[in-house]
Amino acid sequence: MSTISTQLRNFKEPTKDQLTHVFFSIPEVASVPATDKSGSEELEKMEINAVLSLGVQGVEDSYAGKLHLIPPYLAFSSLDRKSVRFTLPLSTVRRVERLNARAGVYALSLSTWHGMKIVVQLTSLRPTADLFCGLLREALKYELQRGQMKAVKGFVKSCYSEGLVPTTSSVAENEREDGSLITETKEGSPPPEAAYHGGLGLRFKFPGDPKKLREASKIKLWTTYLRTHGRNLTLLRYPQCTRLVQVGLPNRLRGEMWETLSGSIYLRYAHQGVYDQTVAEMQGKTSTSFEDIEKDLHRSLPEYAGYQSEEGISALRRVLQAYSHKNPEVGYCQAMNILAAAILIYMSEEQAFWLLEVLCDRLLPGYYSPTMHGTLLDQRVFESLVARCLPMIHEHFQAVDVQLSVASLPWFLSLYINSMPMVFAFRIADCFFCMGPKVLFQVGLAILKINGEQLLQIQDDGQFLNLMRDYFASLGQSAHPESSDPRARAISRFQELLLVSFREFSVITDETILSERRKYRNQIVNSIESFSKRSAIRNLKTLARFSKEQAGFIYDALYKAICEVPPPPDAVPAPSLLSTADGTQERPETRIGLATFQVFLSEVLTWARNEKIVINGFQQRIDREVAEHELIDRLFYFWDTSCKGSLSFQDVVSGLDGVMFNDLMDNIEWFFNLHDKNKDGFLTKDEVLTLSESFLFIFRYEIGDAYLGAVSRFMTNAFEYGDTLLPQTTDKETGESAPEPIEPNQPYLNLATFRMVVLADELLESFFETDLSASFRLEPVPDLELPPSSSGFLGDLWSNIATVDNKKMFHKLSDELGKTIGKHQVVYRPTIGRYTKLEEPKARESLVSPTTKANMSSSDTNTLATSKSSSSTLTVDAVAAQDAPLSAALSSAAFSPMPHMQAVNAAFMERTPFAIDDAGDDDDSDLESDHEGDDDQVLDEVDAFLEAHDSGLTDADKELAKDLIDAEPVK
Amino acid sequence: MADSASGSVDRSVQVKLVLLGEAAVGKSSVVLRFVSNEFQANKEPTIGAAFLTQKCRLEDRVLRYEIWDTAGQERFHSLAPMYYRNAQAAVVVYDVTKASSLEKAKSWVKELQRQANPNIVIALAGNKVDLVQPSPSTSGTISASESEDEADDATATPGETPGAGGGDPQSLRQVPREEAQAYATEAGLLFFETSAKSGEGIVEIFTEIAKKIPIEHILASTRGGAGRPGATGGRGGARQEGVNLDENQGKGKDACNC
Repeated sequence: MSTISTQLRNFKEPTKDQLTHVFFSIPEVASVPATDKSGSEELEKMEINAVLSLGVQGVEDSYAGKLHLIPPYLAFSSLDRKSVRFTLPLSTVRRVERLNARAGVYALSLSTWHGMKIVVQLTSLRPTADLFCGLLREALKYELQRGQMKAVKGFVKSCYSEGLVPTTSSVAENEREDGSLITETKEGSPPPEAAYHGGLGLRFKFPGDPKKLREASKIKLWTTYLRTHGRNLTLLRYPQCTRLVQVGLPNRLRGEMWETLSGSIYLRYAHQGVYDQTVAEMQGKTSTSFEDIEKDLHRSLPEYAGYQSEEGISALRRVLQAYSHKNPEVGYCQAMNILAAAILIYMSEEQAFWLLEVLCDRLLPGYYSPTMHGTLLDQRVFESLVARCLPMIHEHFQAVDVQLSVASLPWFLSLYINSMPMVFAFRIADCFFCMGPKVLFQVGLAILKINGEQLLQIQDDGQFLNLMRDYFASLGQSAHPESSDPRARAISRFQELLLVSFREFSVITDETILSERRKYRNQIVNSIESFSKRSAIRNLKTLARFSKEQAGFIYDALYKAICEVPPPPDAVPAPSLLSTADGTQERPETRIGLATFQVFLSEVLTWARNEKIVINGFQQRIDREVAEHELIDRLFYFWDTSCKGSLSFQDVVSGLDGVMFNDLMDNIEWFFNLHDKNKDGFLTKDEVLTLSESFLFIFRYEIGDAYLGAVSRFMTNAFEYGDTLLPQTTDKETGESAPEPIEPNQPYLNLATFRMVVLADELLESFFETDLSASFRLEPVPDLELPPSSSGFLGDLWSNIATVDNKKMFHKLSDELGKTIGKHQVVYRPTIGRYTKLEEPKARESLVSPTTKANMSSSDTNTLATSKSSSSTLTVDAVAAQDAPLSAALSSAAFSPMPHMQAVNAAFMERTPFAIDDAGDDDDSDLESDHEGDDDQVLDEVDAFLEAHDSGLTDADKELAKDLIDAEPVK
Repeated sequence: MADSASGSVDRSVQVKLVLLGEAAVGKSSVVLRFVSNEFQANKEPTIGAAFLTQKCRLEDRVLRYEIWDTAGQERFHSLAPMYYRNAQAAVVVYDVTKASSLEKAKSWVKELQRQANPNIVIALAGNKVDLVQPSPSTSGTISASESEDEADDATATPGETPGAGGGDPQSLRQVPREEAQAYATEAGLLFFETSAKSGEGIVEIFTEIAKKIPIEHILASTRGGAGRPGATGGRGGARQEGVNLDENQGKGKDACNC
């Protein structure tokens, strides 16, 4: 039932480069060209100060700004980042000339495909400008080689504006390049008007009355603008452009302008044919997204004629399916259908597909993701902006407990299209595509501000929604119906809304939004993750014997493991299985693989990890690593009751429940079953051996060899009892009876026998009585490398990486130092740890020879002395190798950790001041003695500095200053 | 949905009710049937939640239901606390022809019982019961199922409807009435089988809820100006509030009683 996603933790703040790309709407993929072509290195990016002016006199002012070369694009933005900007694909540049100008002025003239001339004056130093030109030349050459120059012609035909602006057979078209960079032969004059891309509106009419919308005059204004400022791929955005957008785009041009302004046109240009390809690919496929899409097709702007016909519906279906097919991690989210339906009125399917991509990826990041974190984040940001800009409304909402998001969530999620009458919503969309996401916030704030007085009257969410609904319904009405001035009366409430949005809330900039998002991001991620944790726990079919808190610990450990080792993607059942599932239809659910399981288990189970206590003279720390053993794999498959080769959260909880609450008999049975592979109630001889190996694995770091002894006795006894229970055959010659020989894979030992064998040994008995269950520990995992779970555990992993690395480096360094000075020690921490608290193993009398006991104390001090004197690197392994053969006495006592720790401590305390300490101490004393001298020197320097500055003053000033120092207060 | 002032002028009691359930079980249709007694084909999908109001007369009292019809898509789940916070009633809808929808309904019930208002009245509604009844009408099962699907979400169960069209309608049923009833009793829920298409059981849900709601309690709390728990402290993300609010609300009510 539960899905556990660590996706949110992988977020990284965009780099400066990425932000630039976003600003200029440059597709990410386009930034790394040249890898496919042989030999050509990656084309370099560069930015340079420049002054932009249009080649035609008097049309526009010149603007200072920055020119960016981001192959295969050339981009410019004015210094204020909003007045003027362009993003030109290099392939639309037809000629670049260095202008003969006054000395010291370095200017380039660029001619574009549309015959427009742009003059850029490079105001940086000469060598910089030369470098820039060099890079530009390289990039242009490369585009030419790629054949992109020829692609322009076909592509622009798909744009409506080409037909709009009479083709004045642009200069660059027919003229041959004279010794400049590009030489390309043009095939005659521009083509006659070709079929351009358009939306459903062309067939089913556009919403709104064309007369009322003053379509004709808008088209005229745009025609003029586009003629002088380029169009589609080569559009230059001057302030006039933004103003024209703000009064509303003409319907026929809207689709193209949306893709140009949002930059999706560059995607479409860079990926021609991809849409058709995607549509072809997904033929016959099905997925949960497709099913969800199907449900909503008839609920997407159903009042629009186009969506009452099969033509509109199938276009909508194709676009949404294609998007979800290409972006399976987003898939389909309700509200995307509204957006897609809206843009399809103005755009072709292919255009809509790419615009949807830009919307979901860049303009509304994370809005439609499975966690919808972007939506939640922006709601939080909006709330904080309301608190800042409209404090009275915010306070009132707090006081009456009205939640802003109940109204504002759909505004953002569907770009107001679901809230306002379409004609108005589309005008907001115009501004949104032109000016970016901040528009949504500005309009939202303006709505609240305009309705401020009434909002202060509302008492609950319902009234708030009703008020908003009434307001949106009245947007077409006059804002000042009582006014005597007919011009004031003519201003509609919608115009008022835009005016307030862009005048009064111009303080809300892209930077504001970005920084607010940064501020609240962690908070949102935390709450999403804690929400999914709670629902994962709630959705468990059974908590078994765990408390909710304990289940939470299991979840945390699991989550951490998933962060470290993400589960394989194929853990999610294939989509086709989903659709054919019967009554118990399967929801995609997070299941972990073996690798993740090992990490998880190492968190909660002491013997599933190797813990090294490292002491190096500087610090004492515990290094933890994941243990690998057949037993752990065995557990994995033991808990995988549905035999899927993966475990769900529920499997893990049930599995843990199967062992953590057991008493002696339960545990013995559990351990038996764990090793009874075919579940026939018998262990084979092989399985008995495996089981013994499991014992040895579990006890591998135990102090002393009591456990070793116990296991070997266990084996002896097991085979002895096992043999006696076998059908006996009597050897006829000798008369001795012997067990029938059986194959190692035949049933051999049953549970009762196994139990008997185990109970014959006190150590094993106590292991099954308490130690086994106790070796599973559910607690907030004491891991220093992640902040505590309450605050930062789910927080910004990224910021942790640096410290984790630093820590590792520090550890390594101190280890090295420790080794050189002979203070490095590594001790494995025992996993059962029964004897860490006891001075001596509590073993049955019969098992321990009296001599052992006698030797105990002496050997104790013995080792102490050894480690004291040698202070060498000492590991349990090393010593174990020494005494493995017999010296039971020595090992059993000496390896209880207490003396060990004593030894270490003693060594630590007694250590002679070593080199580094000495140096440090010396330094200190040096400093102490030199201190006064140093101070004097510094003061001297300061004095000198002051003097130098004083000399800048006139004598009179100096006099004044001196006088002031000596001056007496006025009496 | 006339906005009748603040509601406290007349004697009507305002009740916040939230609808929850898996996508395409017919939540919106249930509401629409109740609010305007119609069964509409294509509806706007619910973005977040749709908000509707309807009055309901109960003996001498008038209840004014404020209905929050939430989006069913799984990824909107995390937004749900925003809508069910402070709700006095909830209708959890499942589809009798889809067993998984009852599972989802159960998980909603669990969530409500733990996270929502502790006194919340929850009703479980098994919708689309018209699909599994031997239809006396001439239209037969095929058209019945078609229209229901369309209304609801165009293709609620595309895989199942065609195959079952000719057979016994009862075979479409995946959730036996008894099973759901038993669960509802155990969990302390009101239980109904409904059909938004025929209108069966719809009004009953809302009247039964009305009977069960502690009206005096609500009146007391609104009069006293209590139940304004949000006033305390800053708000976190939408979901955390569900919990915080519950705690606060409990206190608020205690305070107002004395």
